[in-house]
Amino acid sequence: MKLARFFASLAMTTLLIYVMDQGWTIGNTSIPPLGKFLDPFHGFWQNLEPTGYQGKKQLVIPGLQSPVTVVYDSLLVPHIFARNSEDLYLAQGYITALHRLWQMEFQTHAAAGRVSEIVSSDAVMEYDRRQRRLGMVYGAQQALKPMEEHPAIIQYTKGVNHFIQSLNYESLPFEYKLLNYRPEAWTNLKCALLLKNMAQTLNMGDKDIEMTNALHLFGKQMVELLYPDDEKPGDPIVYKPGKWNFQPVTLKNVPLAVPDELITIKKAPPANPTTGSNNWAVAGSKTYTGHPMLAGDPHLQLTLPSIWYAMQLNAPGINAMGATLPGVPSIIIGYNDSIAWSVTNAQRDVVDWYKITFQDKTRNKYLLDGEWVNTRKVVEEIKVRGNSAFYDTVIYTHWGPVTYDLNFHGENELNGYAFRWISHEPSEEINAFHRLNRAKNHAEFSEALNYFSLPAQNFVFASVSGDIAMRVQGKFPVRRKEEGKFVLDGTRRSQGWQAFIPNAHNIAEKNPARGFVSSANQYPADSTYPYYITATHYEAYRNRRINDVLRSSDNITYRDMMKLQMDNYNLKAAESLPVFLSYLDTTHLDLLQKQAYRVLRSWDYFNHPHSAGATYYEAWWDNLMPLLWDEMQDESYSLARPTTYNTIKLLKERPDLSFFDIQQTPEKETVGDVIRKAFILGVEDIEDWKTTHTTLPVWAEYKDSYIGHLLPPLKALAIPVKTGGNHDIVNAHSQTHGPSWRMVVSLEPSGIKAWVTYPGGQSGNPGSAHYADFLPSWVKGDYFPMLFLHAPDENIQKVFYTTQLNPQSE
Amino acid sequence: MRFPVQILVIIILGFFLELFLPWWSIAIAAFAGGLLVNTRSNFFAGFFAIGILWVGKALISDLSTSSDLADRVARIFMLHNKAVLLFVIFLLSGVVGGFAAMSGGALRKDAMKP
Repeated sequence: MKLARFFASLAMTTLLIYVMDQGWTIGNTSIPPLGKFLDPFHGFWQNLEPTGYQGKKQLVIPGLQSPVTVVYDSLLVPHIFARNSEDLYLAQGYITALHRLWQMEFQTHAAAGRVSEIVSSDAVMEYDRRQRRLGMVYGAQQALKPMEEHPAIIQYTKGVNHFIQSLNYESLPFEYKLLNYRPEAWTNLKCALLLKNMAQTLNMGDKDIEMTNALHLFGKQMVELLYPDDEKPGDPIVYKPGKWNFQPVTLKNVPLAVPDELITIKKAPPANPTTGSNNWAVAGSKTYTGHPMLAGDPHLQLTLPSIWYAMQLNAPGINAMGATLPGVPSIIIGYNDSIAWSVTNAQRDVVDWYKITFQDKTRNKYLLDGEWVNTRKVVEEIKVRGNSAFYDTVIYTHWGPVTYDLNFHGENELNGYAFRWISHEPSEEINAFHRLNRAKNHAEFSEALNYFSLPAQNFVFASVSGDIAMRVQGKFPVRRKEEGKFVLDGTRRSQGWQAFIPNAHNIAEKNPARGFVSSANQYPADSTYPYYITATHYEAYRNRRINDVLRSSDNITYRDMMKLQMDNYNLKAAESLPVFLSYLDTTHLDLLQKQAYRVLRSWDYFNHPHSAGATYYEAWWDNLMPLLWDEMQDESYSLARPTTYNTIKLLKERPDLSFFDIQQTPEKETVGDVIRKAFILGVEDIEDWKTTHTTLPVWAEYKDSYIGHLLPPLKALAIPVKTGGNHDIVNAHSQTHGPSWRMVVSLEPSGIKAWVTYPGGQSGNPGSAHYADFLPSWVKGDYFPMLFLHAPDENIQKVFYTTQLNPQSE
Repeated sequence: MRFPVQILVIIILGFFLELFLPWWSIAIAAFAGGLLVNTRSNFFAGFFAIGILWVGKALISDLSTSSDLADRVARIFMLHNKAVLLFVIFLLSGVVGGFAAMSGGALRKDAMKP
């Protein structure tokens, strides 16, 4: 009897331990091993850092040649002092992994199409397959070829791996515990994958298929009206007509076959086109100090852990500080003792789609210049968590991987669409940043950029010696007119890229007469630039506001620079709202609509956090766009909406345009009808909003921005933020996208001064006080003065703690 | 008087074992507590001892941090807040402790049989 009781309770204990020692999936919900995860001695409670927590003071890192000193300041920014560059990059890898490992590894998994290994669902599988079919790993392998011997990448990888090897369950980052997996070894390829990940975000935009469909449905004349190459709002990034002093590369003018077809594949939604980065530099003639100043705020989808990791790197030959991309060696955006630089995305078409004709459904051969040529088949193994692997065959052609074919959103058995992307070319960004970090003047900056291919960026520059400059840098194919706007004929080699624009011909300027340089993703050059330029869209509002402010300012201080980064002036509203209002018939408005009308009439066009006018305008606009372009939404094929700028232009100049009729209604609507309908819907939206909110519908509340966790289903880890601004405004913070880093640098010969803030914090651990501690100041537009050191003991009172990394003793 | 002693023994043993062994060492501690200090209510001794050990240790972690991660974890598990999470932890760890102590106690009673 007693024995039975013993065995019964022992069995029960064993069963409980068994159940709680492993993860379970119930329906679509994954549950971590509850015993392990909830255990306060080893589980997630160990990721809660005690207040004032300081890391280890001494660490032994095998592979170091000499001791490395890491000084953390009060913001938890590490200042790494090494005696040689090899040790510096090894320490950078180790320290970055120490604070950001989960994020950097997850992003490489996402880039490589391996998310199914961590969380599995149909949507994730779709995502993974697409990544494989876009050739992300293929591109990273190509890119790595010229970079894999670079000491920066080799040493960085070693440093990350030393950290990974030091981990046990207790010290694992929070997300690994929650999602119940472990980090794998870091590789050089992962550094390249992270660069590809950024390139995908910034340089994969295209609307070739959408434009092909538009051409088929609307005709060439309408396409030119709806989607002009250059809308010419404001100044291009570089304006120097007639002064492009070089002989451009020309191509044999092979006539392009303009396609006439409707493509019925379902395309992935493109990256948010309303993201917007800004940068500018002002010459000493326009600043209060008499020396140049530089400002940069790159915009991205805002996520936690923070996209950027601030760091200072010091070794003989280098003393650089700024934003690093976790997983990539060197400083990406920042300054050193002599120069400062920042980036905005260069809008340029570096993506093409080629229509492939297969011989038969085996897809073993495809047509190229009149012959049937062999394809290369790569079987992609997509491992799926808790399930058997999925195998997908990706066909490679002369052009690149076939993304869409009979197995993936294709049209039929005999055709496919191959993806040609600049990121499938070898490139040397690691080398570019290595040199950029050490550059002392404009000449060395320019030389460093010659190694930079992608993602194409507008690099702003300023130096202590007094120069300011701008350079649109990337590897760009030389294009014939109209080339790249539509899907290309993949059966003829002559349709391919024949040459690349030499670096010396890239758009650049130094010390222009106006006393400043600036970029905001707008059209890059004046019309005399001798190469054909096209892109999915160009920015139309921020660039004009920035240039207007800079042109009219003198004695500019660093506070003026910050103020301009935080500028909420809505130029788009100033140019469109008076027109919208003129269409309203105030005698036919109900009480709420009249109230809205009055708010809008008295609005000052600033999207300030407390503005009610901004709410009414944006709600109106958000309803107007889909109503105006309802023709562009079709289930069976993809079309692109015209840009905001062109929409407003057409509203004013072509109110009779047939597109302005709403197709679903029997009546024939005019522009006025649509504008009035959007107004009524906008006011309704705000009234609906009021029923579920206790606050007034002021802009920051109505916009309801948040910084989400990198893994979107983890909603509990998202942080709401109440800010002004919006897309098309210099402070381009929409609900999810915005300034991922704000930096102002004053290049004074007595010593560079810099101020920085970003939406997050230095630690990637959600249990750390430094996970999102910059957020309140970022919201307000307060910046942190950066501690820029020349020796580890230079400013002892500002030091939070110091970690000594020691080589392994013999 | 043996009941509080038994609880204390399990807590202390559990604490030290957890410093060296994974989470399931709480079962060893409770089992030993049931075996060495046998009472009429071994299950409850193990239940409360391990529940108190885990919730106590978790509370210490939570009180010494300025992070709100415990509340966020509670929300990930669709629980209202960290108080509910702590209660769930109390129950889960307690049940393991309870059955382990019960096994220990049963083994002793069994071994003492003539």
